[in-house]
Formats: sequence, structure tokens, C-alpha cells
Amino acid sequence: MKFSLNDIARCLDLPVSTVDRWIRQGRIPIHRNGNACIFKKSVLEKWAFNHSMPFFLPNEEKEIYKGQNPDLTNLLPAMQLGGVFHDIKGADVESVLKSAVDKVPVLSINKEKLYKRLLEREALTSTGIGKGVAIPHPRAPLPEEIDKPLIITCFLEQSIDFAAVDDKPVCVMFLLLSRSIKNHLHLLSRLAFCVRDDLFVEFLRTYPDTSSFLSRIADCENLLDETD
Amino acid sequence: MRILRRWRQPASWSIFRQDDRLLLILIAVIVGTCSGLAAVVLNRSLIAMFEWLHHFRHYWWSFIIPAIGAALSALFLDKMVKEGAGHGVPEVIYSVSRYGGLMRFRSSFSRLISSCLTIGSGGSAGPEAPVVMSGAAIGSNIAKFFSLNDRQRVTIVGCGAAGAISSIFNAPIAGMVFSMEIILGEWKAANIVSIAIASVAGTEISRILQGNQIAFSHRLFNVGHLDIVACIGLAIISAAASILLTRLLGSMHGVSKKIPFPTWMRAAAGGCAVGIIGLFLPVVLGEGYHPLRTMIEGVYTQGIGIVTVAFLAKILATSLTLGWGGSGGIFAPCLVIGSLAGLTYHRGLLLLWPSVPWVNEGCFALLGMAGLVSGMLQAPLTGIFLIIEITGSYEVILPLIIVSVISTTLCHYIEPASFYLKELVEKGQLLRQGTDRSVLSDLSVQELLEKDCMVVKQNMLLRNFINIIKKSHRNYFPVEDERTGHFLGIIHLDDIRPYLFNPLMYDAVVLGQMMDTNVEVVYLDDDLSEVLQKMDANRVFSMPVIANKKFIGMISKATLLDKYRKELMVQTDL
Repeated sequence: MKFSLNDIARCLDLPVSTVDRWIRQGRIPIHRNGNACIFKKSVLEKWAFNHSMPFFLPNEEKEIYKGQNPDLTNLLPAMQLGGVFHDIKGADVESVLKSAVDKVPVLSINKEKLYKRLLEREALTSTGIGKGVAIPHPRAPLPEEIDKPLIITCFLEQSIDFAAVDDKPVCVMFLLLSRSIKNHLHLLSRLAFCVRDDLFVEFLRTYPDTSSFLSRIADCENLLDETD
Repeated sequence: MRILRRWRQPASWSIFRQDDRLLLILIAVIVGTCSGLAAVVLNRSLIAMFEWLHHFRHYWWSFIIPAIGAALSALFLDKMVKEGAGHGVPEVIYSVSRYGGLMRFRSSFSRLISSCLTIGSGGSAGPEAPVVMSGAAIGSNIAKFFSLNDRQRVTIVGCGAAGAISSIFNAPIAGMVFSMEIILGEWKAANIVSIAIASVAGTEISRILQGNQIAFSHRLFNVGHLDIVACIGLAIISAAASILLTRLLGSMHGVSKKIPFPTWMRAAAGGCAVGIIGLFLPVVLGEGYHPLRTMIEGVYTQGIGIVTVAFLAKILATSLTLGWGGSGGIFAPCLVIGSLAGLTYHRGLLLLWPSVPWVNEGCFALLGMAGLVSGMLQAPLTGIFLIIEITGSYEVILPLIIVSVISTTLCHYIEPASFYLKELVEKGQLLRQGTDRSVLSDLSVQELLEKDCMVVKQNMLLRNFINIIKKSHRNYFPVEDERTGHFLGIIHLDDIRPYLFNPLMYDAVVLGQMMDTNVEVVYLDDDLSEVLQKMDANRVFSMPVIANKKFIGMISKATLLDKYRKELMVQTDL
């Protein structure tokens, strides 16, 4: 096979200068002809394996790269997937969580188990983050049960006492289910950014309909991306 | 036209591309032949010059002949080819270990001419080291012509050295062993094939041109048990002689350097001194092959007194010739000094125990030679094989081995580096494959550069900096000048952590006020071992790398370890 020096360096994940030197010193089974590097794929693969170095041809490499670093899901797609519900009934934490879990639009999930895990998390400390908002979530991520992270937005029929940090009754819940800790933190931090804005909280108290709520979320996220 | 181009790049011929071992073997034949030829040429011209000058030896002023020769040789080296004095073997070893055996073309003949002038006129030095250097340079340049890589070029340089030694002594095994033990310093199957072939080619060319004769033939020796015991004493004497010669050469070098004369005048002074010694003891003059023959044959008639004086005088003459700027090697002087040491020892034994039937004195001369070669070069195998081959006397192998190994051990105990390596070790230039020093010298700062650091401006507010911290993967933030882009200092997250959570400071400080300006920096052409020393001295794990006053990346111990390991693996298991 014939590659340029830069390509070879990328395939082996080494600096160009190192590969250049190794070829000159005869330490790597590549023959140099001008700028072209001539090698036998099988020989070089074996060599890389023997020296515990990676070796990927350019097209293979990209696939691996994608597999390792999935893009983080933002609020909007997660909320669209999870859905927005305005009729969550219940007078205490247990009952609202129960009815919220019933709304989860994923069939493969064991709702009884999820409910128990949410309660376990609440027992640790309340997920009421103040200003009438709570973000219940299981303690560990759910990589098996769900394909994509989702947020179920629940507007409660009546405000309830959630033992929140500011002791204010909670009227909105975002049930947060994610596949990885990384994405969980990502969504949580974005949500917290939105809630920090008092205008947004005021907006939530008006029990907005689904489309205006989602467009507001989209606005907030745009703002967040700009400041980053 | 295409065919022509293909001819100019023999390395691209398909027959060789299939398997470059084939190419190496072919080149080994060529190099062995060429370096063998060089050896024959030097040998012949030395003989011719010695015979031509022989008529003048009877005059009282003959002592200035070595002076003229040494001065001419120093002038030639210094002015015409611009190469340093000395015998050349350390240069070959250094080029092998540092530059993949790259050598100048002129090296392939410069030492031949200069050593011919020095030795032919009577200076006490050997023609072997110059021939080795020529052979190595020939090999290096042929390898360059075939556009071989460093590893292959080193092998071919070894081939050149092997061919030269094989040819000059008509001793193929000694050539191989010398090349592996001293020049390359490693034993690898891949090298042995080509070097063996070059040895054969070198020997064959010498046999064709000069006939197949053993260099120093002699009668059969009957080595008894007592002789084997006695040779332990000889080993000690030859070790002492080796140390004396090494030290004397070193101190002569030091003394001559202090004298404020040009090189050629110094060489002339040394040559003059040798000439004066030679007036009284002609045995010290030249490379000394002729007296060597008489000693091994056992017909050297002088008594113990004169032999002892000659033994010391030869050491002195050699150090005067080489230490003061003459050109040549120490191989042949070693052989002469060794045989004189052997004779001295034998005469001493006879004096003490006249009734014991000691073996012929020629045998002791031979053992002394092995002792000195092994001691000076700290290469026992070279000593053993060389003596066996140039004398054709396998019956002395047992005492020979004993003398060689004891002499090597004793010398190693007192002088840790052999004569060839001493200079390199002192300058820290000896780099054998797979050692820490060689790995570090191969890696460059450029290869270790980490470019994922985010550079910040010196007038940036802390508030804006917080956003940068969010995105960065690193703990270090180099600070540069907005206008010039020059590196000013560095911010380490650990140092400013307490202020990050104090919002009152966000608009009160700019980064220029927070950075550490007193940082040690690394430059692109810095030596990695020095970089590591700096890191250890300052107890840091990363340092910024600067080029043209601008920040170009970080260098860290973690990356270094990763690359170091890869380099070590690649260097060692080929």
C-alpha cells in the first residue's frame, strides 16, 4: 500500500516526526520513496500489534472514534422524547412520582422498579432544587433500559411539599432519565441554568402549553450556547 | 531515461525490494572487498615507505624522520581534510551510536594517508585503526548510495570494519568479532550474516593480492600445566601494561594540549622524541611487525635487561607518537608491547626457576599480545580470536583464554571504560541501543509536544477566564501578549483555585496579574535528559515549550513515559 507520511502517522496515532525518524532509522517496516510510504498492510499490522500500538486505516479509524465519543443530548430533544404532561395528580411526593412514572413513554422499562429507584434517591436528599422545581431521577444511569436520554416534564395539578431546599412547594417536575453519568450531568446543568432565570420560573408557573414551553426551552439553550 | 533513473537508485530494484537481506549481503561483499583493498594498500605502502627510508636510518640525524612524518600527517589532517587527530575508532563508534553510522566520504582515505606518513616514517603506531575507519567510512558511503536506513547502514559500517581487520591480519573471525564486540557493541543474528560475508570478502582480497600466509608463523608449542599457572602472572603484568599505556596516552594528550604550539609542531616534537628513542632501540619504531615475528619465533636474542627497557620504551614511544598528535592506532603497538611483556616475563621466570622446563618464549610473547589487546580494548574475544588466527596456534588456547579474561577483568576494574570508549564515555557520547541515554537522545522535544493547551491573553479578566477553564482539559494555561504573541508566563489551576470561587474578584483581576512569570521553559532543540533534570530539580511534571519567544505546547512526564516505552520497544526488539 502507498500512503503519505501524514496519513501513516495518523493511522498509527504517532507524531509525524516520530514516524519519519523511525523510517529513517529502519525501525518500522515501511519503505520511503520521496514522500510516499510504501508498506505491506499485513506486515505493518503485525508490527503494530507486536509493539502494542494502534493501527487503523483512515476509514476504520473514524468509526471507532464515533463509537467512543457520542454527542451529548441537549434538553430539547430529551424533552421532546419524554413529552410534556399537565395532569399529574397526587398530594404527596410518592403519589406524584407514581403518576409521573406512569407517563414514561418507554415500553421496555420496568416502571415498578424505576419508581422504587426514584424513591430511593428522594430518601437520600430531596431533588427539589428550589423555586418550585424538582428534578427527580434515579441514582444510577440506565444504560440498559433506554436508548436515548429523556426528560418527562410534569406540571402538577396541585403544588405539593417536596422538602425542597428553599421549602417552597413544588409545582413542576422534570423526571430525568439518562444513559450515562456524563449526559446526566450535562442535562442537569442545562436545566439548572434555565431555572436560575426567574423569568423562566415565572413562565413555568403559568402552566404553558407544550409547544410554547418547548420553544422557550429552545431559546434558553440558544442563550446557553452563546455564552459558552 | 526511466531505466537510467532506476540504475541510480539500486535500492528500488525489485529483486532487492523483495527481501532487503539479499541487498545487504550484496553490499557486504562490495564493502568487504573495498575495505580489504584499503587495508592491502596501506600495508603495501607502509612496507615500501619503510624500505625507502631504511637507507637513512644509519645517519645520526635519522631521529628527525619520525618528526617530519608526524608533522606532515598532522598538517594533512588539520589543514587539508580538517579532521581531528587520533586513531578514529571512537569516531566510528560515536557515529554508529549517534548518527546511524553516517560518516564523511573523506574519512575513507584521510586516515590512510596520515597514518602512512606517521608510521612509515617510524612513529610508533598501528595501521589497524586507520584502516578500520576507512573501511567504516567506505561502508557508510556505499550504504548512503544504496539509500539504506540507519539500522542497515550501521550493519554495513560494521562490515567495513570487519573487512578491514580481516584483510590486514588475514583473520576473518577476528574481523567479525572485532566488529561485533567493539564497533557495534551488540550481537544480533541479522548483523552477523552480513559482517561474516564482508570478513570473507576482505580476507579473500588480501589472500589474492598478498598470498595466503599466516602473519606470524612459529614452531609448535608444548604447553605444560605449570605454564598455565604461570600465565596468571603474565595476565597481571599485561593488565598493568595496559593501564600504564592508557594512562600515559591520556596524560601525554593533556600535556601536549597545554603547549601553545600549532598541532603540527607538537606532532613533530613527539616524533622527534620517538626518533631519539629509536636510535638506541630500533624495536620501538614503526608498527613493529618485523620484531614481532622474531619474538614469536623465539629468536629474539636480547637479555632480560634490554627486553624490559624495550618494553617500557615502546609504551613511552607509543604514547609520545599518538598523544602528541601523530596519526595511527594502538593495535599493533599493543601486540609489540604485549610480546615484549611476555618475553620479559619469560626471562624473569627462567631467572627464578632455571630448572623448570618452561615452554618456548615465543608462546609467552603470544600470550602477552592477547593480554594487552584484551586489556586495552576490554574485548577478550577479539584478543583470543585474533591471536589464534594470526599465529595459527590452537594449542595455546587454554592459557590464551585465561590471560585474556584475567587481563580484561583487571583492566575493567581499574579503568571502567576501554581505551576506545574512554573518550566517548567521558564526554557522555556513548549511546548503545536500548539504553536510557540512547532512547532519550533519539526522542526530540518536537515529538513529545502536547498541543491541547488553551492559550490566554494577559489582559483577559478572570470572569472570562472561568469560561475558558470550563472548556479546557488541562491544568496549565500559558499567557501571551496580545500584541506580539510572546509567551509571558503560565497559570496553574492549583495556584488560583481559591480565587475561582470568589465572584468579587472576577472583574478585579486580569490574568497578567495572576500568572507565574518565573517559569522554567524548554526550547525545541533542548536535550531531553536535560529537560528531565530540570523537571526533577523544580519538581514539576510539565513545562512549557517555547520557540521564537512564542508558546508552542507543553511537555510532560506522562507523555514522555508513553513515548519512551514505545521507543524502547522499537529500539530493543528488532
